[in-house]
Amino acid sequence: MGTLQAIPLNHYILVSVILFSIGVMGVLLRRNAIIIFMCIELMLNAVNLLMVAFSAHHGDGSGQVFVFFIMAVAAAEVAVGLSILIMMHRNTNTTDVGFLNKLKF
Amino acid sequence: METPISYVPILIQLAVALGFVVTTIIATHFLGPKRKTKKKLDPFECGIESSGNARVPYSVRYFLTAILFVLFDVEVIFMYPWAVNFKALGLTGLLEMFLFIGLLLLGFFYVIKKGALKWEDNN
Amino acid sequence: MTQYVFYFLSFLAILSALMVVFSKNPIHSVLYLVLTFFAIAGHYVLLNAQFLAVVHIVVYAGAIMVLFLYVLMLLNLNVDAEPVKKNWVKFAGVLSGGLLMLTLVATFHKAETMPLIQDNPEIGVTANLGKILFNEFALPFEISSVLLLSAMIGAIMLSKKDTKK
Repeated sequence: MGTLQAIPLNHYILVSVILFSIGVMGVLLRRNAIIIFMCIELMLNAVNLLMVAFSAHHGDGSGQVFVFFIMAVAAAEVAVGLSILIMMHRNTNTTDVGFLNKLKF
Repeated sequence: METPISYVPILIQLAVALGFVVTTIIATHFLGPKRKTKKKLDPFECGIESSGNARVPYSVRYFLTAILFVLFDVEVIFMYPWAVNFKALGLTGLLEMFLFIGLLLLGFFYVIKKGALKWEDNN
Repeated sequence: MTQYVFYFLSFLAILSALMVVFSKNPIHSVLYLVLTFFAIAGHYVLLNAQFLAVVHIVVYAGAIMVLFLYVLMLLNLNVDAEPVKKNWVKFAGVLSGGLLMLTLVATFHKAETMPLIQDNPEIGVTANLGKILFNEFALPFEISSVLLLSAMIGAIMLSKKDTKK
């Protein structure tokens, strides 16, 4: 059939790249562990968007199925990560990642 | 064939719903009388004077419930594509789904056994 | 028409992503992230991935962000208690993020501009995704259940600890 969308694939790539870089920037900038988690979610979503764009471009549904798995991974990551965060808050009374530096080389 | 154009009615409905809410809020803001006194602005607490911050940290049990909700929510999204293809997938699909659900039920029994969803004992 | 929607959604996504990083109040960050997720769901609808768009809203905006809000309120972080980083650390963070963006944008900008052709507009429907998921991706599907199981057990192990004693 070949429905031509007016948007070039490049633009999807650019949007995803910009979102991903904002996520990286957030991880580097902020010290609040919750915000860092949120930035990681943002990066995962940038990848998801790219995956769906490519899947639409190639006419192959595998990319969209893969997004499901990324969602499952994100949910698992958030569940365990936020539990760790709550433990961290209970023990140190802060969510500042700079506080946990005992493992630092 | 479905194209993004077929979502325009949904978009219109969304716009109408949002527009109604926003218009009502703005209209009441302008139309309603405003007589602010100190007593009126006080947070109401059964007539006695309110004390402390409203944002007290609450039990971790709410959080556990929310976590379990997220995990089972993700489980359910895998079930929609299965349910739509139930006939076409046949026995193989059924067995695959049984394994999937079985593993998650294992986790569910663990949750019950640990008493993560128990609400009564407050310690 | 589609272009304008695309550019509007991209603008919204990027702007609210920036607000996630730069807003002081963590609760505002969460709300802006929800906005970003809605913009991305709009992108999915444009790409004919309808099922994924709905699932994205249900899982991310409906479940994961609610969990974030719960944690924020549980830890009572709505007061701004985040210690500020030193200025040079901030500068280095922005610089490295910006350089990464510059590199990637420059790389893909030079790539050949091909219009996105949707050969098969039906790939996003639920039935088609299910066929792929349960035939080609059966093993990852089962493994993801193990992942969810371990996440469940891990989360309970971690956060149930204090109620024991």
